[in-house]
Amino acid sequence: MSQENQKLLIDVGSTYFKISTLDSIEQHFRDFNKDILDDLMNKCGDTVSRFQKDDIYICSSANGGLSALIIGVTNSFSLKYATNIAFNSGINIIDTILYQNIEDYSVPSDIIDVVIIVGGVNSHGGLFSGALYSYLSQLNYSNIVFVGSEQDAPAISKEIEKVVVLPNIIDDRLHIVEQHLKEYLTNLYQQDIEGKEDIKHLYSITANQIFSTPYIVNRALPYISQKFPVADPFILLDIGGATTDIHYSKDLVEDNLTTENEYDRLVFKRLGVYKSRQSLILAAQGNEFVYELLTHLKVTEKIFIDQNEKATRILMQLAIFLVLCKTSHYGQAYVNLKLLSVNSIVFTGGITKVLAIEDIETIIAFFYRKILSSGHRPVAILDSNYDIWTLGAKV
Amino acid sequence: MKVITGVVGNDIHVVANRLIDLSLRARGYEVFNLGVNTHLEEFFDAAVETGAEVLMISSLNGEAEGWGREVKLLKSRYRTLDDLLMMIGGNLVVGSGRTEDIVARYKNYGFDIVCHQVDLNTGLDMLAELLQERGLQ
Repeated sequence: MSQENQKLLIDVGSTYFKISTLDSIEQHFRDFNKDILDDLMNKCGDTVSRFQKDDIYICSSANGGLSALIIGVTNSFSLKYATNIAFNSGINIIDTILYQNIEDYSVPSDIIDVVIIVGGVNSHGGLFSGALYSYLSQLNYSNIVFVGSEQDAPAISKEIEKVVVLPNIIDDRLHIVEQHLKEYLTNLYQQDIEGKEDIKHLYSITANQIFSTPYIVNRALPYISQKFPVADPFILLDIGGATTDIHYSKDLVEDNLTTENEYDRLVFKRLGVYKSRQSLILAAQGNEFVYELLTHLKVTEKIFIDQNEKATRILMQLAIFLVLCKTSHYGQAYVNLKLLSVNSIVFTGGITKVLAIEDIETIIAFFYRKILSSGHRPVAILDSNYDIWTLGAKV
Repeated sequence: MKVITGVVGNDIHVVANRLIDLSLRARGYEVFNLGVNTHLEEFFDAAVETGAEVLMISSLNGEAEGWGREVKLLKSRYRTLDDLLMMIGGNLVVGSGRTEDIVARYKNYGFDIVCHQVDLNTGLDMLAELLQERGLQ
C-alpha cells in the first residue's frame, strides 16, 4: 500500500541509480549485465513494492544526451540562433557548418543524432543547392530538421528524405524564434530516453512520464536556496559518468538569446569521467595548463594510465578544471560565463561521491589564479546527498 | 527592394538610425534594421540571410573610418554578395576634411554611394538614382 504524501524518486544514471523516499536515499552501482528494471528490483525491490505506480517518479540521464550538427548560412544569425537553441535544449553540438564553405568541411564519422539546417528569412529563398545534398549524402544521421526560410522548405522536403520542416527560427526582423525548434529537440531528447529498451521497461513500475535528469536538475535551481546556502549568481556542475552538465543563471552571460528559462544548460559529452574516461584524458592532454595542474596536485601524467581510486579522483578534479576552462574566455566554447561574478559553485552528480570539498577548492583556486589571474574564490558547495535532484523531482 | 541598415561599430546614435528606418519605409523599401552597435560582419550576414539588394551603413561618431578599411576584405569572403549595393552616410571622419577626399576614400573602401554630412532625403534620392541607373528600380 502506498504511503500517504510519499513519492518514490528514482534516477537512472550511467553508472549509478539512486532512489529516494521521504526518509532515505539509496544509491547503487548499476550492473551492466542486467536490464535496469531487473537490477533495480533486485537491489531495491522491497522499497519499490511499497509504492503504487502513481507515486513513483523516474528520471534518467543514462544515454548522455543527443549530438547535433548544424548547417547555417551565416555566423551572426542562422548558426548563432540554432546553436543557442540547441544548447539550451541540452544537445551536444558536434560541429557547425557555414553553408557557403560546406565543401571544405570534413564529414564526421560518428552517427549524428540530429542535423539542423537553417538559413534565410521567409521572404528570401534559394539559399541551398546541390552542395548541401551532396554533403548530407555522406553523413550518417538519425534525424534531420529544417528551420530556415519557408520558401526553401518545399525543395528541402523534396530532396531530403524524412526531413522534418518546422517554422523558421529567424523572423522577418531577423530576430530569433526559439519555440518550435526547442520543443522539437527537447521532445527528441525525451524520446531518446524513453526509446531505450531498458527505460521502456521502467514504465511497468511507474504511471508517470520519465524525464531527463538535466531537466529535473534545471527545474530545481530556482528553489536551490531551500537546501543550500547558495549566493547568487551561481553555477552548478553535474559531473557524472558519461557527461558533464553545467547549469548557469542567465545573468552570467551577455549574449544569451533565449527567454523562457531563468537557467540555461550546457552539456559536455566528452567530459564524463567513467564511460568516456579516454575522451576526458584526451581533452586534458590538449590543455596546456593541465600538466601544471597535475604538478599542483602532486601527481604525474602516469595517473592517466592508472586505474585506481586516486586516478579517478584526479580525473574528476581535471574534469572540473576543464569545464571551467570551457566556460571561460580561455575555452572558446559556446558561452563565456562571467566567472568573476560567480559567488557559488554547486557540485552534484557522481563527483560528490569521490571528491571532498578541499579537493574541489584547490581546483577552483588554481583555475581562478591561472586562467583568470584573479584571487576571486567562489564558495564550493557539495550536493553529496542528491538533494538537488530530489528537490527537482518534487517540484 | 530590401535594405539592411544599422549604425556601425561602437556607436549608439539611435535617433538617426530610427529616422533612416522610417524614411526608407516611407519610400517603400523593405527594411531590416540592425540597430546601433553593429559589427561589419553582421551587416553582410544580414544581407545573406535576407537577400537584400542594398546595405546602408550609418556612422555618426566618425568610427566608420576604421571599419571602412575592412569592407573589401570582409565582403570578398562572401560568395553571394558581389551585386550588393553599398551605401554609407553620416559623419564619416573625426575632425574635418574635404568632402571630395572623404568620398573618394570611402569609394575606394568599396562603397557605391558615400554621403558625408548630407541630409537624409538627399542621400535617399542618390540611392534611388543609382538603383534606377542599374535597372533595379
